[in-house]
Amino acid sequence: MSDLTIRNLFIIPTIAFLIIFNIFPLLYSLGYSFTDFRASTNAPANFVGLQNYHYLLTDPFIWRNFTITAKYVIVSVTGQVIVGFGMAMLLNRDIPLKGLITTLLLLPMMLSMAVVGLFWKLLYDPSFGIINYGLGLGKFEWLADPDVALYAVALTDIWMWSPFVMLLSLAGLSAVPKHLYEAAEIDRAGSFYTFFRITLPLVAPIVMIAIIFRTMEAFKTFDLAYILSSQPTAELIAIRLYKMAFLEWQTGMSSAFAYIVLVMVVAITNIYVKYLNKVKER
Amino acid sequence: MAQIELRNVQKFFGAVQVIKDMNLTIEDGEFVVMLGQSGCGKTTTLRAIAGLETVTSGEILIDGKEVQNEKAADRDIAFVFQSFSLYPHMTVYENIAFPLRAVGMSNSERDKAVKEVAEILRIPNLLKRRPSALSGGDMQRVAIGRALVRRPKALLMDEPIGALDAKLREEMRAEIKRLHISRGSTSVYVTHDQIEAMSLADRIVIMHDGVLQQIGAPEEVYLKPANLFVAQFVGSPVMNVADVSVSGNGGDVSVVVGKADAGFAFPQSTLGNAKAGHELSLGIRPEAVLLSHDKSDGAIEVKSTNIEPLGSHDIVDVQIGSEVLRARTESGFVSGEGQTVWVNLDPTQAHFFDRASGLSLRGHE
Repeated sequence: MSDLTIRNLFIIPTIAFLIIFNIFPLLYSLGYSFTDFRASTNAPANFVGLQNYHYLLTDPFIWRNFTITAKYVIVSVTGQVIVGFGMAMLLNRDIPLKGLITTLLLLPMMLSMAVVGLFWKLLYDPSFGIINYGLGLGKFEWLADPDVALYAVALTDIWMWSPFVMLLSLAGLSAVPKHLYEAAEIDRAGSFYTFFRITLPLVAPIVMIAIIFRTMEAFKTFDLAYILSSQPTAELIAIRLYKMAFLEWQTGMSSAFAYIVLVMVVAITNIYVKYLNKVKER
Repeated sequence: MAQIELRNVQKFFGAVQVIKDMNLTIEDGEFVVMLGQSGCGKTTTLRAIAGLETVTSGEILIDGKEVQNEKAADRDIAFVFQSFSLYPHMTVYENIAFPLRAVGMSNSERDKAVKEVAEILRIPNLLKRRPSALSGGDMQRVAIGRALVRRPKALLMDEPIGALDAKLREEMRAEIKRLHISRGSTSVYVTHDQIEAMSLADRIVIMHDGVLQQIGAPEEVYLKPANLFVAQFVGSPVMNVADVSVSGNGGDVSVVVGKADAGFAFPQSTLGNAKAGHELSLGIRPEAVLLSHDKSDGAIEVKSTNIEPLGSHDIVDVQIGSEVLRARTESGFVSGEGQTVWVNLDPTQAHFFDRASGLSLRGHE
C-alpha cells in the first residue's frame, strides 16, 4: 500500500463520520430553526423565517435561563480554578505517595455525570444525607431551596471537575523551569513576589486552556443539574432546551434556541482564545 | 565588593562526596576561575557560595561573616546561570529591573540603574524586547546586566558563555574581562574550558573529583603544574606525558623515554626532587619537543607517525621507544608520515612527576 492509500484509509472514515453525524445534523437543524416543525406530529414544516429567533430573543423566561446559567458558569468555573490550582500548588513538590494521591484526586472526573448526580443527591438528602449530618444543618433543603439549589449543583460540579484544572495546572507548574526560581531567589524576590511575578504569568496560558474547557462544559451542563434539582431557579439553558425539544416537542423553536446557545459559546470561547493568544505571544 | 572564604567545605549528595575538604580564599576584587571537567564539583562549589546548595560541613564566609546557613537572598550575591535563566515573560528592561523591584526600589532610581547597566553592556536598544527575540550573546549580556544592576557583593558565573558558539565565546570573554576591569567586582567564574580560564583569571582554581588540585595565577599553573592532572588539563595541545627512567648521577643524567635505546641528557638540576631509579613520568609540552632535520648533539633519530596541520603550526607525532610524543613545529616542517627526524627535549621545560602519586617532583619554590 502506498503512503497515500494508508493516509486515505485513515482520513476517509473520519471525514465520513464527521459529515454524517456532525455536519449534516448541524445544517439540518439550522434549516429546522427557520420552521415551525414539530417532530411529534406528521404536519409538514412551514417556513417561518426569523420568527423563532425573534420570539426566543424577546422571551423574558429564556433570559432568566441565561442568567441562571451565567451565574452557574461563573461560580462553578471560579470554584474549580481556585480549588484545582490550589491542589496543584500543594502537589507540585516532593511529597511521599505523590503519584497515588494525584490518581485518587483524579477519580471524581472519571465518574459519569449521572452517577455523580445520583450520589450527591443522596449526600444532600435533608433527612439522612451525610452533608447535613456532618455540618449539623438539621433538615436543610439543599436541592429544594430555590436560593441554594443552583449553588448546590455548582458545588457538585466543583467537586467533580476541580481535578481537571488541577491536572492541567500541575502540568503547567512543573513546566516552569527550576532555574527561574533559583534566579528569583538570587534576585532576592520573596515567595509572594515570586508567585505573582514568575509562577502565575508562566502558568496562565495552560490554566486559561483549562478555563476555556470548563466554561464550555459548564455552559452546556445538563445531566448533573437535571438529576440533582428540579427547582426552576436551577433550570440551566440545556435543561430548558431539553424540555422545549423533547417534552414540548417544539423542534423548530428548539433548533433556533440551540443555535443561539452555539453562537454564545463560540463568542465566549473567542474572548478566551484572544486572551490566550495574547498571553502566549510572550 | 567582598572577600569570600571557604573553610573545610564538604558536600555529599547521598553517599557521593562532590566537594572534599575545600579551603579557598577569594580576595576582594579578584577574578577567580574554577576550572575542571564536568562533575568535578566546581559548579556545586559555586552554588554553595551563592546559597543555592547547602554544604554538608564547613564554613563559607563573606567579608568574614559566616553565611553557610543563610538563604541565597540574604547573601547579596549575584549569579549568572549557564542557561541565562532570563524570565521569558518579561522584557529585557523588566528582567534587569527585577532584582531592584523585588526589594522595592523606587521607580526613578530603578530606571536610572537599569539604563546605566544597559549602557555599560551596550544593549540600550534591546530593552523593549523579550528574551525569546534575543541572540545568545545578547541573552548573556542581559543575564550579566541583571546580575550587575544591584551592585552585589560578588558576581558568580556558572559557565556563562558555554552555550555560545566559538566566535561569540571569544567576543564575550573579552567583554567579561573588560567589565571586570571597569567594575572591579569580586568574581568567581566556573568553566571547563582552560583557554577561558587562562584568559580571564587572576587566579585559577583547578578541581578534580571534588578535590582542589592547584590554585595559582594562569602562568603559574601552566608553567608549574602541581600534578599530572593539572599538567594535562591546562594547555592546548595537551602536555605529553611519558614513562621515563633516569640513570646516571652528578653532572648530566640520561633520561630514557619509553625504554628507547638512547636517552636525552638533562642537567641534574632540572630533575628537582626526582632521583635516578624512581618510577617517573615526564611531562613535556609539545613546544618543548624540538624536531630538526639534521643530527645534532643529544638528539635521537625517530620517525614521524602522524601530522596534524593546524594552519599556524603543525602537531607532529613521533615515536620514541614505546611512547609517542607530540611536537609543535612550524607549518609543513615535516612533509609526511614515516619521515625521519631528529628529536630533542628542552630540559628547562620538562616536568617530572612521581608515577604513583602523580605529584610534581619540582622543588616547590
